[in-house]
Amino acid sequence: MQGHGELAAGRIVAALAAAAERWCNADFPPRIRATRAVMERTGYTEPVVDFALDRLFESIDRSAIEATIAGELGSVAALDGFVERAGRPPVSFRGASPAVIVASDTTIGVALPALVFALCAKAQVTVKDRDDRLAAAFVETLAEEEPALAQRVTVEVWEGGDPAQSRAHLSDAQVVLAYGSDAALRAIRAQLAAQTRFVAFGHRTSIAYVAREALCDEMAAISVARDAARDALLYDGDGCLSLHALFVERGGAIAPREFAPTVARACDHVAIEFPAGFRRAPAAVAAYRRAALFRAAAGRGAVYDGIVSPHLVAYDPPVDEPPPLLPRTLAVYPVDGPQEALAYVQRHALPLEAFGVVAGKRPDVEAVARQSGASRIALLGRLQAPPLGGEHGGEGRILPFVRAIYRQ
Amino acid sequence: MNDARARELDDAFLGIVANWAAGGPGCDEARFDELARATCGYQLERNAPYARYAATFGIDPAHRPRTWREIPAAPASAFKDAVLATCDPREAELIFHTSGTTADVAGRHCIARARLYDAALLAGFDRFILPDRAKLRYLNVVPNPRLRRHSSLGYMMGTVSVLRGDGHAEYLFDEDRGVDAAGFVHAWESAVADAQPVCLAGTAFALVALLDALEANAQRFAAPAGSRIMETGGFKGRARVVERTELYARLETAFGITAASIVGEYGMTELVSQYYDGVESRDSTIRVKRSPPWLRTLVVDAEGRQVNDGEAGFLRHVDLGNRSSVVAIDTEDRGYASGGGIVLLERELDAAPRGCSLVAEDLIARVR
Repeated sequence: MQGHGELAAGRIVAALAAAAERWCNADFPPRIRATRAVMERTGYTEPVVDFALDRLFESIDRSAIEATIAGELGSVAALDGFVERAGRPPVSFRGASPAVIVASDTTIGVALPALVFALCAKAQVTVKDRDDRLAAAFVETLAEEEPALAQRVTVEVWEGGDPAQSRAHLSDAQVVLAYGSDAALRAIRAQLAAQTRFVAFGHRTSIAYVAREALCDEMAAISVARDAARDALLYDGDGCLSLHALFVERGGAIAPREFAPTVARACDHVAIEFPAGFRRAPAAVAAYRRAALFRAAAGRGAVYDGIVSPHLVAYDPPVDEPPPLLPRTLAVYPVDGPQEALAYVQRHALPLEAFGVVAGKRPDVEAVARQSGASRIALLGRLQAPPLGGEHGGEGRILPFVRAIYRQ
Repeated sequence: MNDARARELDDAFLGIVANWAAGGPGCDEARFDELARATCGYQLERNAPYARYAATFGIDPAHRPRTWREIPAAPASAFKDAVLATCDPREAELIFHTSGTTADVAGRHCIARARLYDAALLAGFDRFILPDRAKLRYLNVVPNPRLRRHSSLGYMMGTVSVLRGDGHAEYLFDEDRGVDAAGFVHAWESAVADAQPVCLAGTAFALVALLDALEANAQRFAAPAGSRIMETGGFKGRARVVERTELYARLETAFGITAASIVGEYGMTELVSQYYDGVESRDSTIRVKRSPPWLRTLVVDAEGRQVNDGEAGFLRHVDLGNRSSVVAIDTEDRGYASGGGIVLLERELDAAPRGCSLVAEDLIARVR
């Protein structure tokens, strides 16, 4: 049973998927403009921005949206009216309105998946857009597909550091979903009403574990190394899904000491596909490199530089230091087993987004990945391509935007 | 010390310091070059970790640097990876611990002879902080050197307080308990009652904490004439950073000490000698730091190549006082050369934050 003038959920999903499909075309004029604007804002190279936009819009397809809603709410129909549930009262879900989505200034299109599900929930949504106006451009496309849907969205840019502007947007919200640094999230939280639902996505990092079985021969090692390199270099290592620490198990045909230079060479290959957004290594990377070189001169570890672009692979850095959370810099730690990786994560209280693994059955590795605090376990090489249907940061996709109503 | 070469180098260094302290030039470029290379040669033979590192640059006892600019610089972080000493650390008269940043591990700077450190310290401090030879009361917002004997800043201010102070120095900072604001108020009022000018000394971080505490109670103070402040950087590893100009403005307001009487000191645990704001730039928003002639700095790019004057880069210090450790040290500090001195850059200009990745500062803030 739908409310007066309300779009059915199926129609909303179709409109969103159709708009996203237009954005999958790299020649779509709004996308061309957005690509330039994102490059200008972030400094990433065009292939990197293209990859980001491809991943973003390709993931927003009808079946993925519907499967996600059905998975979290039981059925898409529950957004339009009451549905029966086994052993529980019938339920329907209404959008928590107004909902506010605050995109981080340092990511690409992070607000859009959230916007998709907020609209599916039939919430009235305000999006804090960034200077590239990507969210606004997508909403314009949505307006062409389904004007009534686009009218439910307000896209604005406001100054986060201005408490008055922030308060005006946040004080009445029922739901606020925000991305950003701890400081930015704290500032937002401080402006919310007591009962506002606040879903915060802070900065995190990702690691991976290469089991010895994956290094059974040279070709296998090269393949794993390419996967690791891709996860480490995409977005210049700036993303929460960027690989910063790679634990490599001893006991395979290829020893971790031999694997590290293979990763460095693989980085050179990946750098051709995804060039760095900077021409010279940032200062902190240079300092880290010098320290690693000093240790290497003393026989502890090794350092491998990029040839075609700046990157750094540090082999066997001190485990009493956190990983180098630096652009295009990857630490490779030799270990005897997954518990060593877990101990490292716990020692440094690393907030993990993803835990990368290689194909193959290793229940002990999976057990450690589950204990690590990561919200996602993914195959190496796929860290930077999370599916829409997976929970983001451990949170549901549509759940934050709905309130349940059950009928007794 | 049963080491003739070390004695020779130390005597040469002390001679330069004494000459400069007495108003002489200290050393010219040629003398600096000669002594820096001699010190490097000595360290290549006596400091095994440094020698191994230098060898990766093609420098060894048989292939020595041709000028002081070619001396391989050890990264400052190397002090926590190795014992960088030409002496047995057990025989070092001073051992200072470096502060850890992201890691828990502290490095150690072993100084074979305290006399070298004291001589360099007092000559620089007299020149830049006490040109009027004032006997000040030292209100040190730094660790008490008796309690934290491995704090170089504590030792520095302890030495100055004893040898240059009025005998009533106070220590108002403890790493566990933070700033002792009540103790500060008491000490300040006592100095005012005695009409005794003070030197308030501390890291920028500690001074901010002190100001926060005093401003929370709306407390302001009028400093006795001749008072001054020595601020010594020190936001490394801290989640909160303030601009220097903002800090100085707050200090002026709180204590009635003009910005020209607030002197920025720049030193490192890994160095024996210090930089200070040059007198001529203390009224300017851009302060040029000056050093004694035995401490020279190259501004280098990420690959270690010297950049042009005015161009930003990393600071590589060559300190003749570092005879018993490493004479040349690469730092993560950034700045540029200007008129014979250096200007420190407060933040990295070429690394605007991008992405949603955790950064080291986040981790520090969460752990703290």
